[in-house]
Amino acid sequence: MTRSLRFIWLLIKMKIVRTMAFRFSFFGVFFADGMLFLIQLLTFAVIYGQVDSIGGWSRGQMLIFIGTFSMINGLNMIIYFFGVVEIPWKIRDGRLDTYLTKPGNALLRLTFESVNLGSIPLLFLSGAIIAWGVSIEGIVITVPLMLGYTGMVLLMTLLWYDMEVILRTIPFFVISATSIDWLEGDMLMLNFKIPGVIYKGFFRILFYFALPYGIMATVPTQLLSGAMTKSGLIHSLAVVLVFTVFTFWFWKFGLKHYKSASS
Amino acid sequence: MNIIQTQNLTKIYRRFEKEPGLMGSVKSLFKRKYSEKVAVNSFDLTVEAGELVGLIGPNGAGKTTLVKMLTGIIAPTSGGVSVLGHYPNKLENKFKMQYAVVMGQKSQLFFELTPSDTFRLFKELYAIPDDVYKRNVDYFVSLFDVSEFLNVQVRTLSLGERMKMELIAALLHNPGVLFLDEPTIGLDAAAQRQMREFLREVNEKNGTTIILTSHYMEDVKKLCSRSVVINGGKKIYDGGTEELFKKYEQFEGEDIGLVVERIYAAKDGGGE
Repeated sequence: MTRSLRFIWLLIKMKIVRTMAFRFSFFGVFFADGMLFLIQLLTFAVIYGQVDSIGGWSRGQMLIFIGTFSMINGLNMIIYFFGVVEIPWKIRDGRLDTYLTKPGNALLRLTFESVNLGSIPLLFLSGAIIAWGVSIEGIVITVPLMLGYTGMVLLMTLLWYDMEVILRTIPFFVISATSIDWLEGDMLMLNFKIPGVIYKGFFRILFYFALPYGIMATVPTQLLSGAMTKSGLIHSLAVVLVFTVFTFWFWKFGLKHYKSASS
Repeated sequence: MNIIQTQNLTKIYRRFEKEPGLMGSVKSLFKRKYSEKVAVNSFDLTVEAGELVGLIGPNGAGKTTLVKMLTGIIAPTSGGVSVLGHYPNKLENKFKMQYAVVMGQKSQLFFELTPSDTFRLFKELYAIPDDVYKRNVDYFVSLFDVSEFLNVQVRTLSLGERMKMELIAALLHNPGVLFLDEPTIGLDAAAQRQMREFLREVNEKNGTTIILTSHYMEDVKKLCSRSVVINGGKKIYDGGTEELFKKYEQFEGEDIGLVVERIYAAKDGGGE
């Protein structure tokens, strides 16, 4: 375990060194991510500026929701997105070979080898939006509430990771899975804008159980604003557990079907 | 002591076949046709510790597939395989700590980092003690005379310099078995010669078992006391390299395809 942590830390340091080798991309990412966030915020201001309540959620809750989604997205971008997004290409062109022949968990290495510090400002901006929502709602922040919210955000970041890995494990079995990237992008965009509480019937089953993008920012928001039910909490924890266990099993199953590529 | 053992090792790939043109693409949306390609066919092989074995055969013979099964990269379709007492495709850390693989066309180095940084990463990966790491880096760097390239980005190295760094990176943890898949591909004659001398020294001094696949007959002839010739996924020769070349001396050129044909001809005429 200590060795794995030391290795992850070294990977992160190496990545920073590598990124700094290209000065433009190092500073460029700060600028690009900041701009993306501002555009997103402007979109929300236009859409939600005229209404006070959506699906029973107040304006403050909506702001917490937007900030939370952005926070989870920021963590995703910093920690694993750029590593995980490359997995299908590495499966297709056989670059995965090198990972499989080295000690340590190949998925762990793929996950942490492309950390992106450029998204750190996104976390601060997201934090500011959440704080704004909290002040509008008049929520009294206590240490247990803060810890609970932080824990839930981290769990939902793990769930986001699970979904990304599951979708990017499919290329072990099929020739091309480009449409999966599109599907994921569309699902995320939709759930970035709409809180899960709005979904009913089929869509609720889809976004709460099958493709649980609907709970990712909704559940931490409910927890912070005091709207969380006991069954909702149990459901969220169960979904994270089931998807995490499935992710690691599916990845191992995929490895058994890895065909590499001719050289 | 046998450290590599395979029995009836077989790998069959399923390949998608599409009729040509737009209509073929449309048809393939509804009805897919697959064919099977036997890449490695009932392959038996035993390798003893300390051997330097040349695995030779033309393109598509199954050499790389065999190496990939021996290193655990891909799972066999059927048959048995044991390397250093492990089933490779279990991908156990204990197994991966004991071997190394260098593929001529796939790099294990980080192109934006320096070789020195990559070596440090490998030190952590393989949990190499400080003294062993320092001793090995010093030894291999001086053997290859590459000290001046240790602190430059890998992407700026020539192919020959990069391949030397690949070999050093692979040997830092003192692997028991070293798999080399076309390590000299694309290298000039001088670099190929240097590579061979390096490998011979590693085999003789450290007792590292080496399995070498190569298109270049010179590599096998100069390095390997034993050769295994593979064609169409089947083993067609397993024995002394000297005998192999004596038998088929009129085909001393670089073309492995001609050697394979010659072996087949000898087999048909009952000469083998």
